[in-house]
Amino acid sequence: MDKRDAESVKQAIGCPMSRRKFLRCLAAAGALAAMPGGLLRSFDAKAGKIIYEGDYEIYRNACPRNCYDTCSIKSYVKDGVLQFIEGAKESTFTDGGLCVKGYAYTRRPYSPDRIKYPMIQDGRGSGNWRRISWDEAMDMIAKKLVEINDKDDSMLGLGLTKYSGNFGITNYAVEGMMTSLGYTTRLVGTPCWPAGIDAQNYDLGDMWCNDPEDMVNSRYIILWGANPAWNSVHTMKYIYAAQDRGAKVVCIDPVFTQTAAKADVYWQVDTSMDGALALGMARHILDKGLFDKAWVEENSVGFNEFADYLRNEITVQWASEKSGIPQQQIVEVAEEFAAAKPATIWIGYGLQRHVNGGATVRSIDALAAMTGNVGKTGGGARYGHMRTWGFNYHALLQKRPEGAKGFLGGKGPKGDFDFSGDEEAEYTDRALNINKTAEMLLTADDPPIRVLWISCKNVLSQDFDRPRMLEAFKKPELIVSVEQFFTQTVELSDIVLPVTTLFEESTINASYWHYWLSVNEQGIKPMYEAKSNTEIAAALSARMNKLKPGSCTFPTEVDTRQWMIKEFNQDIYDLFGIDSWQDLKKGPAKAKMHPASWHDLEFGTPSKKYEFRSDLCAQHGHQALPKFKAARKPYDKLRLLTPHTKFGIHSQFINIDWMEEFNKKPYCYLHPTAASERGITDGDQVRVFNKVGEVELEVKLTQNVPADVVMMYEAWFRNNAYNCQNVVDDTSSDMGKYKTGAPGVAIHDQFADVEKV
Amino acid sequence: MKKQLAFYIDAKRCIGCFTCAMACKNQYHQESGVIWRDVYELKEEIYPHRERAFYSLACNHCENPTCLNVCPVVAYYKREADGVVVHEQDKCIGCGNCIRSCPYGAPRYNPVLKRAEKCSFCWQRLDDDRKPACVLSCPTEALQIVDLAEFDEANAVQYPAGFPRYPSLNPSVRFRLPAMPKMIRRKL
Repeated sequence: MDKRDAESVKQAIGCPMSRRKFLRCLAAAGALAAMPGGLLRSFDAKAGKIIYEGDYEIYRNACPRNCYDTCSIKSYVKDGVLQFIEGAKESTFTDGGLCVKGYAYTRRPYSPDRIKYPMIQDGRGSGNWRRISWDEAMDMIAKKLVEINDKDDSMLGLGLTKYSGNFGITNYAVEGMMTSLGYTTRLVGTPCWPAGIDAQNYDLGDMWCNDPEDMVNSRYIILWGANPAWNSVHTMKYIYAAQDRGAKVVCIDPVFTQTAAKADVYWQVDTSMDGALALGMARHILDKGLFDKAWVEENSVGFNEFADYLRNEITVQWASEKSGIPQQQIVEVAEEFAAAKPATIWIGYGLQRHVNGGATVRSIDALAAMTGNVGKTGGGARYGHMRTWGFNYHALLQKRPEGAKGFLGGKGPKGDFDFSGDEEAEYTDRALNINKTAEMLLTADDPPIRVLWISCKNVLSQDFDRPRMLEAFKKPELIVSVEQFFTQTVELSDIVLPVTTLFEESTINASYWHYWLSVNEQGIKPMYEAKSNTEIAAALSARMNKLKPGSCTFPTEVDTRQWMIKEFNQDIYDLFGIDSWQDLKKGPAKAKMHPASWHDLEFGTPSKKYEFRSDLCAQHGHQALPKFKAARKPYDKLRLLTPHTKFGIHSQFINIDWMEEFNKKPYCYLHPTAASERGITDGDQVRVFNKVGEVELEVKLTQNVPADVVMMYEAWFRNNAYNCQNVVDDTSSDMGKYKTGAPGVAIHDQFADVEKV
Repeated sequence: MKKQLAFYIDAKRCIGCFTCAMACKNQYHQESGVIWRDVYELKEEIYPHRERAFYSLACNHCENPTCLNVCPVVAYYKREADGVVVHEQDKCIGCGNCIRSCPYGAPRYNPVLKRAEKCSFCWQRLDDDRKPACVLSCPTEALQIVDLAEFDEANAVQYPAGFPRYPSLNPSVRFRLPAMPKMIRRKL
């Protein structure tokens, strides 16, 4: 890329200019004249009686974002326009409510910022967009795909990156479309929870958590690196209920979070030293003989070896020095936790986003297990589950075209939400690590990724080492984004295809936390020219087959409702106690599962027991015992944390104008001591910088963060170039490859410094 | 005492999630910049941790509403049955008297209609046997409706720190104060 191109890329990402150009282009195409905001009229405050039942068509929807709560929604439609939504009162988990993000949904389909038509950018990053027809868009893409197949004699030059922007089951049509085209390249793994998934698989044989509603039965709750007050608001009422019944709630987090503010005890642990803390507690429980001897003898393997390790190498004093928590506190909470029956630990996803994250989760699991709290209601080492995800994955399971060639050797990709059970075949797809997307795009060769397809994902706001990603995005010959909004990823794409919101398509949604299942009905017609991911796959297939018959096996006509129906099976009906998917139109259904995971104490491990010593873990190159693992060495003065904001799910929702009313711009948070050392005062504009890159934003001083930390939230604002991925590198966490295809990323093992600008 | 509905804000349970504020937007689609219910962060002098304790506030449906008293065109009335203060926007001339006089900042100016508007306590929903949108939405039951005629909560206060005291208006709102955990901070 020459200097001029580089300049235009810089301009595109550095200022909102290209977005304005994009909107101007939409206006020229006549889009703004039909401003969709106009459809969504405000209720007249003068209005008389409003008839809620009978005056609206009411549909069932479900939030498909990557969130614990996966809320079941009731949407009220009048004259073809979504008027307002509520939570489904049938779900005892959400109890008729949604969250701040959920209630912003009503605005989402009608947002003036929505991408309305397929568009093409003349010069990637130039901002010179023009409207094209779906036919033109499909024609350009199909021709390119035929061309790369002819050149490489395979489709491996086609790469897919997709993750959690839409977990509707039918959205696996994107993967299905790739399979329909041949053997392709997939960016696999997950930036979210892989180290913990592997850890729980080694210890328990699967990741499976108690029903969150069962938390009311707990007598002692440790919220460890979890912030439900922001990320699972509906679980908070169960924690409160347990508290009201006398349970003690301890929150362990480097940051004084909103959840910590609601706990009885808050421990400000040194970041990434959670494992040391758990082991120190375990040592004390062992010494005092407070562990559940009968439980470990009956239900586990390797406990004696673990006990020897604790006695030989762990002391409470050591744990205190490592974690920063005073010995007397460790002793007190350890004794209370061991004595309370039942007691539970909620293991958040934050504490496994470290180079020692998997080892940390294993040591916390061990604490729950040795006190006999695994397999009990009100107990459990809670992390997540996939027990209610047994759909047909009809959208995913497509045939390869005849004669398709792929990657010889190696294993095909599998993500954390892949249930396809890929059969043994001569060829496979090519799997690349999603957590090192920039590096993979730059280094993948023979063939390189010539066409990159992006869906359900905002790569440039979510993937790591963004400065390198900007380089990597210059390499593909064609980049296609499927999106609802003009994200930073769309800015660097060649073609953008407008995709439907949940209200405009049919699908199904399960949760990885609670036990409820919801149907998502199409309540309104797709706005403008938006198509669902299934329809896009069908349109591409039609064009491919016209160009080169037999080159794509995906059906050329689909009906999203029919495809939703195809995902159901008898096992799902039985699990949820329903006779037909149509029963879900009456309301969400809850799985007929025991509220306690592992209640029958039949573990999924090779020994069928809880494994304090996991030989499988050792075979995979880790320690057999849940031993302490050292942290990443700091490479700058302050620890950098980039957790979730309450106003978004990763980069989603923050751009909606309704959300902007309450969350106008990003801030970073700094302890007053760290600030004064740098001559920074509250409200200053600061530069957060490290070896990766830099970010400029306003600072807020607060003792909610430790003095050795700088914190800012992940976000994508529509009118602000802010991006925390400028300063986050792609270092891997220890575990994740076993179950999700690639190790996780040590998102919270980042370091930076701050200065006033 | 006559029935008087009031909002009860349990700051001990409130997680400052803004769900109530957005639920109001979802129900009424106010113009950009017009907010009927907002979530206010407590200053550090009141709660020593920034952005960790909040009051969710809207119109307080006062016993003696100043908005009603200053309105020159009688666009406001107070419902006999439940004390809800209703603003009839079709009568409003946009003079701004109510906006200027309310010490709680409840009435807002709608720049498109050039008229005032404010929290209606979702009286249409009340009449349909439904909770107000904000109350229904609260995930922790930190925002509730109570009837002051029979409200008897020992921990409740009418004027907590940070909430302006106007006894002559007698705002129909009650609060429970936020609490703090035992904090164990590491030494650096």
